[in-house]
Amino acid sequence: MSDKRYAMVIDLHRCVGCAACDIACKSENNVPVEFHWSNHIIETTGTFPDTRYNYIPTLCNHCENAPCVTNCPTTAMHKSEDGLTLHDPDKCIGCRLCQLSCPYGVIWFNKEDPHQNFMRDSEPAIPGGTSTGQEVAQAADAPIPYYNPARATTYQGIRDRGMVEKCTFCDHRLAVGEDPACVIACPADARIFGDLNDLESPPSKALAKYTPRVLQRDQGTKPHVFYIRNFNK
Amino acid sequence: MTDQIPTSKHDDAWQISRRGFLQGSAGTVAAAAGGPALSLFSTASAQAQPAEAAGKWMPSTCQGCTSWCPVQIKVVDGRAVHMRGNPLAKANHGKICPRPHLALQQVYDPDRVRQPMKRTNPEKGRGKDPGFVPISWDEAMDMLADKIMELRDAGEPEKFALFRGRYTYLRDILYSAVPKIIGSPNNISHSAICAEAEKFGPYYVEGQWDYRDYDLEHTRYVLCWGADPVSSNRQVPHAINFWGNMSDNATVAVVDPRLSATAAKADEWLPVIPGEDSALAVAMAHVILAKGVWNKAFVGDFIDGENRFVVGQTVDESQTTVPVFNEIHTHGVVQWWNIELKDRTPEWAAERTGIPAEQIRRVALGFAAAGSRAISWLSPGASMQARGGYSSMATHALNGLVGSIDAKGGVVAKVKDPTGDIPDLTAYQDELAASHSKYDKIDQRGTLAFPSLNGGKSGGGVVTNAAADGMLAKSPNEIKVAIAYWSNFGFSTSGSYRWEQALSELPFFVHLTTNASEMSMFADLVLPAAHQLFEKWGFVKNKQNLHSYVSLNQRVLEPLWDVKQDETEVPFMLAEKLAERGFDNLYRYYTEAFADPETGAAPTNGEEFTESALKMLTRGCWDSTHPDYGRYGDRLEGWEDFKAKGVWNSHRYEYGQRIDNFATQTGKVEFYSETLKAALQGHADRHDTTVDKVLEATNYVGRGELAFVPHFEPALRHGDEAEYPFIFFEHRSRLNREGRSANCTWYQAHKNVDPGDENWSDVLKMNPVDADALGLHDGDRVKVTSTTGSITVQLKRWEGLRPGTVAKCYGQGHWAYGRVAAANFAEHVPLGGNNNEILYPEFERLSGSTARHGGQSRVKVERV
Repeated sequence: MSDKRYAMVIDLHRCVGCAACDIACKSENNVPVEFHWSNHIIETTGTFPDTRYNYIPTLCNHCENAPCVTNCPTTAMHKSEDGLTLHDPDKCIGCRLCQLSCPYGVIWFNKEDPHQNFMRDSEPAIPGGTSTGQEVAQAADAPIPYYNPARATTYQGIRDRGMVEKCTFCDHRLAVGEDPACVIACPADARIFGDLNDLESPPSKALAKYTPRVLQRDQGTKPHVFYIRNFNK
Repeated sequence: MTDQIPTSKHDDAWQISRRGFLQGSAGTVAAAAGGPALSLFSTASAQAQPAEAAGKWMPSTCQGCTSWCPVQIKVVDGRAVHMRGNPLAKANHGKICPRPHLALQQVYDPDRVRQPMKRTNPEKGRGKDPGFVPISWDEAMDMLADKIMELRDAGEPEKFALFRGRYTYLRDILYSAVPKIIGSPNNISHSAICAEAEKFGPYYVEGQWDYRDYDLEHTRYVLCWGADPVSSNRQVPHAINFWGNMSDNATVAVVDPRLSATAAKADEWLPVIPGEDSALAVAMAHVILAKGVWNKAFVGDFIDGENRFVVGQTVDESQTTVPVFNEIHTHGVVQWWNIELKDRTPEWAAERTGIPAEQIRRVALGFAAAGSRAISWLSPGASMQARGGYSSMATHALNGLVGSIDAKGGVVAKVKDPTGDIPDLTAYQDELAASHSKYDKIDQRGTLAFPSLNGGKSGGGVVTNAAADGMLAKSPNEIKVAIAYWSNFGFSTSGSYRWEQALSELPFFVHLTTNASEMSMFADLVLPAAHQLFEKWGFVKNKQNLHSYVSLNQRVLEPLWDVKQDETEVPFMLAEKLAERGFDNLYRYYTEAFADPETGAAPTNGEEFTESALKMLTRGCWDSTHPDYGRYGDRLEGWEDFKAKGVWNSHRYEYGQRIDNFATQTGKVEFYSETLKAALQGHADRHDTTVDKVLEATNYVGRGELAFVPHFEPALRHGDEAEYPFIFFEHRSRLNREGRSANCTWYQAHKNVDPGDENWSDVLKMNPVDADALGLHDGDRVKVTSTTGSITVQLKRWEGLRPGTVAKCYGQGHWAYGRVAAANFAEHVPLGGNNNEILYPEFERLSGSTARHGGQSRVKVERV
């Protein structure tokens, strides 16, 4: 057994709600535009001028007690030694029970072939003057022109039609000693990532210093994504 | 130059991997295709190797907004796959905002122009298919050179114009040299549709026609005037990174008619009625003086310490021979009080601004209590207004009252950099060029109604949006041939219909652009430009985090298509073509004056020219023999070192060096602006009239001595309230790459990160009280009509703005640009609506600016 227990602490006071995390995640993990492995919940409350806007970044909680794992009939959705909730496409039968059982809505299903804006786009805006998505991908020699091959070191580079997909805490980056892409991409340094088994790790210290919260605690999922402080004053 | 029309670089290689990919599941691909397809589809059982996927991080510069951040691109197999900040940059310290990520979708946008195109339909207009057909660069440049030679042969080179939008600092190779050597005065920049009014106030208060830098690390109070620093302009990733710690130590107050991203996180939101910022600012100044809480070490004090700034009373200076106020680093505080401030109570301002008097008082006192560690952060929102010249001054003058100009924790300026300008070109101007390039410009600058007082000079700055009017009126002359680059004035200017009309009537128009945008649709030639971040060489200079910097734009990718660098390769090709036609002055200038600073070799083609020009202009950053090398900051070890690092950093800004040495008439921070007085008088003298007449001609209501102090000016609005009940105002997006990112699906898929906005939509935000009165629901399609036009968009009920106002983000409503940005590209149907179709072409005339803000247009809203 690994002695690691990866977790993320999101400091909402530092977060400015810019979605750099969301977009960098798409770029790093070749995520189709319709899916949001990294996502956010927004809400505007109150009445003018006492209006409040709140923003909560979200992603797979990598729950200790993960309903998606419990309910997967094939063990395709599983817990890794490091506490990550991972998906094995070789075992996945596309039944979507994981998606149905996740209380956080962070699992996405490839109902169609992914990246249709490149895969299926065959009519240019101006014939001879502009390109089709297929031509761009062809010229770049990749299924999508900004395809990141590093994603394919631990998972399908692009997930097939009929497969679910979700955040892996960038396990391919962890494997080479790098933090998840959303952590690096956060201009606010609001994402604190590391090993909770190490009491000196940044997330352990952040959890000790502040009162942490998790999403939907009453579900009993024991998330490994924690939130500290508040987005607004 | 090539006559070939390439289709793709890798036809053969592609067939294999493409076929493999389309076949579907991982197992079949691995078995059937082999080669590159393996890495595309590898699963846990067929893994790509980390080393192969690692790629290389290469530096360049993001120009998605005017932060101009040094960035790095992860390049794998010649493709750009990921973005991050350049860790060597002291300005943004390795951070980037969302914008650079979006750039990946720009460079690989299928809707980019991939080949020069010429128009086959002579009829020009919106809704008319230009009938573009691809041609070679050679043919395109022949056509352009012929047209320019026609003007020169006819002795009318002034009928050539060059329009510039965004730029790198290689800009003058095209923007300055081409018109001047051909013989035209008409190089027209975009600056006045951007933020010149934001520079106007600081110039006439402290002598800086520039943007400011801010000491976020040490500040204790940030008062934003329409500024939304965690979203936009001009130091976004730095501001985002410092905001959390900063707001642990500082109070943040945001004046904005909309609950902006920054307002959402602020201590105080002051939702001012659009265009009434000057009332708020002078009321705060009034409070600071009346309560005796100005910075006495900076401004000074009454000689006996008794505060004579009594509400409603003039400070009487007639009874004594010595000044009653001992002023130190500022000029005219007593005059400011007497002329403008004494009656500007918070109660007076509350009625105009909609902000409660107690909040005005609280914010003013809190701001002043921070002493010199306070920032009054001016933005286009509070200055690019029809009467915004004085709100620009008033909001910046608050920094003077608390002594935060040039102070720790306050408002600072750039540090010098060692870059240079293009070599003198006068020797390459023939007689025709020398005389005709001094003709009056098409943008009306310097006329009575357009003082455009950049640098204190009548007609000293550009009036971008008036160029369309000049073209339509053929005044001061007709424009027959024009080039526009990195710009889209048919979209980005208020009253954009005037540009559509002017461009329709323009006999020969060349658009040098990445995408076939609105402006392209009127072009005779569309020339494909290299993308600034990935495909182009250049440099920018800017400041963030108390450091100035010079950052290189670098070609880190071989372009997929036949694109050229707009500021260097294209003018070099033009120079060659003109030389072939017997006019070699431009060619001689480029080849003789731009020798490589290391080898002395003259450039023989556009690529060599690009590099030698870039080396020449940035030499002080990297060449130890340059006189300014190492003087202001980094000592880079040669050209290759500069390219590898990508950025030159200045020393950290030193506080207090400019005090009593400001570039104003008095050397002081001027509350009574002797500098503006001289400028206005100069303009009045030029037109043989009075300053009051100048104010009248420029839409201002203040008269007499008010002209020389920051003062209240009421909002100017177009449209009768009875017919157009709502004040319309617009704002920026944290995902806008200056109006060029709406064709990116990632932009559309995350648009709701602009508070109140929705993904894949372009919503009009309306307070629910008003929506209820009109029976409107979320998602209803509504027609928004002003005195200038209509747009049709979706409605969004939102509590983040005041009843009586409606707001929409700028950046969408493209009827061209691409198939994501436009609902129907072929039919010119926009997705959403362009604000500039309902914004009146109004100006802040003292700076020449386009007055897009301040609620200048009233609208009516109807369900469709």
